[in-house]
Amino acid sequence: MLLLFFVDVCAHAQNASPDLLNNVLHQLSQHAAVRAAFTQQRQNPALTQPQTSSGQLLFVTGRGMLWQVQQPYRETLALTGSRTLRIDASGHAQTVHGDRGVSQISQMLQSMLAGQLDTVLRQFNVTAEGSAAQWTLHFTPRQSRVAQVLRAIQLDGGAFLQGIRIDMQDGTQTDIRMTDTRDAGTLSAAEKQALGLP
Amino acid sequence: MNPRGLWWRAGAFAAATLLIALLGAWLLFGRGRSPIQTDLLAMLPATERNPLADVAAQRLAHANGDRVILLVANADDERAKNAARALGKALAKDPVFASVTAQLPPFDLQQLAAPYLAHRFTLLTDADRSAITQPGYDPAQALAQRVNEPFDIGVGTRLQDDPFGWLQHWLDQQPWSRSQLLPEDNLLTAHRQGTSYVLVTATLNGSSYDDVIQRRALGVIDAAEKAIEHDQPGTHVLRTGALFYAEAARAGAEHDVHMVGWISTLGIAWLLLGVFRSPGPLLLAFLSTGIGVIAATTVSVLVFGQIYLLTLVFGAALLGEAVDYSIQYLSARANAGAAWEPRQGLRQVRPALWLALGTSLLGYALLGLVPFAALRQMACFAMTGMTMACLSVFWLLPALLQRPARPLSAPAVRGALILQSTVWRAASGKRGVVLALLLLCFAVPGWHQLRHDDDVHLLISPPATLAAQEAQIRSITGLGNGTQFYLVQGADQEQVLQREEALEQRLQGMVDAGQLQSWLGLAGMVPSLRRQHANLQALAPLFAQPDRMRQWLAGAGFRANDIDAWLQAWPGTPLKLTAWLKTPLAAPFRYLWMDGNASHGVASLVLPQGDAPGAALQKAAEGLPGVTLVDKAASTSALFGRYRRYASVWLVCAIMLIVPVFGWRYGLREVPRVLAPPVLGIGFTLSMLGYLQQPLTLFHWMALMLVLGVGANYAVFLREGEPHIAHRPGAMYASVLLSAVTALLSFGLLALSSMPALRDFGLTLLLGIGFTALLVPTSVPHRMLSP
Repeated sequence: MLLLFFVDVCAHAQNASPDLLNNVLHQLSQHAAVRAAFTQQRQNPALTQPQTSSGQLLFVTGRGMLWQVQQPYRETLALTGSRTLRIDASGHAQTVHGDRGVSQISQMLQSMLAGQLDTVLRQFNVTAEGSAAQWTLHFTPRQSRVAQVLRAIQLDGGAFLQGIRIDMQDGTQTDIRMTDTRDAGTLSAAEKQALGLP
Repeated sequence: MNPRGLWWRAGAFAAATLLIALLGAWLLFGRGRSPIQTDLLAMLPATERNPLADVAAQRLAHANGDRVILLVANADDERAKNAARALGKALAKDPVFASVTAQLPPFDLQQLAAPYLAHRFTLLTDADRSAITQPGYDPAQALAQRVNEPFDIGVGTRLQDDPFGWLQHWLDQQPWSRSQLLPEDNLLTAHRQGTSYVLVTATLNGSSYDDVIQRRALGVIDAAEKAIEHDQPGTHVLRTGALFYAEAARAGAEHDVHMVGWISTLGIAWLLLGVFRSPGPLLLAFLSTGIGVIAATTVSVLVFGQIYLLTLVFGAALLGEAVDYSIQYLSARANAGAAWEPRQGLRQVRPALWLALGTSLLGYALLGLVPFAALRQMACFAMTGMTMACLSVFWLLPALLQRPARPLSAPAVRGALILQSTVWRAASGKRGVVLALLLLCFAVPGWHQLRHDDDVHLLISPPATLAAQEAQIRSITGLGNGTQFYLVQGADQEQVLQREEALEQRLQGMVDAGQLQSWLGLAGMVPSLRRQHANLQALAPLFAQPDRMRQWLAGAGFRANDIDAWLQAWPGTPLKLTAWLKTPLAAPFRYLWMDGNASHGVASLVLPQGDAPGAALQKAAEGLPGVTLVDKAASTSALFGRYRRYASVWLVCAIMLIVPVFGWRYGLREVPRVLAPPVLGIGFTLSMLGYLQQPLTLFHWMALMLVLGVGANYAVFLREGEPHIAHRPGAMYASVLLSAVTALLSFGLLALSSMPALRDFGLTLLLGIGFTALLVPTSVPHRMLSP
């Protein structure tokens, strides 16, 4: 059902400052593997209070993302372009079927962070503002089907991506902040295995 | 009988022929739908012991049979989409298409989930069910995971309708959610290696195998493709569907019929004119074979209701054997010179013709025993055609050939005599023994190199470009291959669904292990009632104390009124297959369900998707009651193999059948001499096929049976004819050679056919008839040979 999302970025879709967008993408693509601590806050109109979770993430260009929640529960998800794996404490991986929405957002982020301007977003209108040192990118869906569900996505950052904000049409807001972002250095055996790296 | 009697008989025969021709014309053209069957699948034999399996295979082949799938590709996304829209519009304009889908109708994503809400507690994914039934399952944590899931975009179910996401997960694994094509700009689109692919499908307003519809639809598609390739540079269109395969098969067969038919007709005409030195005999020879072909076509349509393309191609080649009878009669006339008397001539050739016809009929009758519709039809066609051609010589030709004719052309007779005496001298006495041993030494290594091949692609070999396009479309869209599937049978719906679940558990294991891309089956969309009941049972402990559930939900932040509504929905109702099949969502999957009859119970189809080896698929069905893997291609190949093995036995049997016939006519001691040319011809042909590295197929063996029949004819003609024309040495062999060359001109040309089976057939006949015709002078003993 998560019919959504985004595979490639539009060379033809920016309404403003293509240079800044190019610069930002180029800047992001300098880092092949990145680690960060994240805090995700979600507000859903069906819920009485906002939900907060936090943990560590590892992003490897071209391979995918490890999303390790540490609070309020422990869970590790490996989001690779084609599928999503849930990895339990013993390192055992289980496929999460059909989570295409998740995989595709991860793919979109991968394309973004790998600086693939041609392939970054076909489905969004993108505007950029700010400077290379402190920028914000706004994504609004071009597809009516996606727009029925998703209102907008906003990315901001400097040398690294610092925040992701997702606004849904039903009023759900997800805000992910990243801190302590750094180049990943060497990956552990478990991390490599989870992302299907040799 | 006086000349008047001859005319009476000829008149009666002509009238009968005319009636048959009229009946044939009506059968072929007078009934609206052409009985010419271009569907190659229809030609395949019933391979399954299970009658439902063949029905299912046909159903599957035709489920997509009237659908055309086009994939518009362009490196430029905008151009690909514009081209697809234009293509859709162009096709929709023509009434030959019942429907065209390019642009998707607007629809509300949220509404897809609504009909499932009543069943939300009975539909669980395997992963959820096993998680819930784990001893350490913590509902509070499950809720926390759900509401914090990263990038969760909550499409499908609303959070308050499905707090744990069970229904959401279940909907996510439904086939319509797993499609590799995504809606973009209201078009179904995929992106691969920098190219955009847009799907356009169309349904024909009739059958792909209908001549008129086929031509019209192809015309419209070709024109529309040209237009969009011009308007949107860089666009190309991939196509697949029964329409294109049917057209290719038809074009191939038409090409074969035309080429083989025309070249053999012209070649035979030229030969006959040259040898008989007058156009009259030529016309009569064609009249006789024409009567044979017309009667054969009529009887075949009458018996089988339709006529296969393969039979028509074979029929074009049969001209070469049917013409033998008239050649014998015409030669007798030419050789009699001024002393010609039609009834006397008939008496002279009659034993030879009866004997020749008898051996041919025996051979074809054996072919007709194969339980394979296409071969039976060929046998029926051949037997009718040969009999009518032979009867026309007995009843029609004498009346038309009352005047004497000029003798056979002298150079032809001289050439035949030289060849005959050379072969005869080489094969007589000690020299013959030495030569035979030498030839045997040469033949043995060839026999050692013989191998065999039973692949179904001998019969069905679509053009490589079509197959490549289909493979590419399959990899981009994930549409199934349609030739392998599981048939799941049971006494009732519930049993079938339970059996499907057992199978699908194994298939899912193969998917998880990366052996299979995916599978498609109804139990994945509508679980069995037992499974749905088990799902309720798994959830029941969580709902045993509603207050506790209320606490968990409130703890996760859900509102009291939403919690009440959700708890009140428990336990809901199970999803029933019969009701589901009626929903619009089920429309694309309805063909998977087979409402059987009282004797067969009910059944469903499960389609494995992706290229898994047949053995692995077979293993998945092992030990599961009611589950059969149906692999039409593999079982047809197995059938070919079985008949190929029988065919060698048949050949020996056919020779055994001829022995008493020849023994009765020539005496047992003479049988080896008369039979030697065809039998040795077959031996040398096999050896040559070995040297040529041709793997033997059923069709090689069929051709060898024909070689036996034709070769025996030649021996008989020569043996019977020689005493009557002792005054013209070489003339009899000249007429046999004439028969052989006409046979080579027709059958041999099949070696150029586009269908591998006919190619094998033609090549074998070319070799076999060639060898036999060369060897046949040895069948006449020395004392009979003219000085």
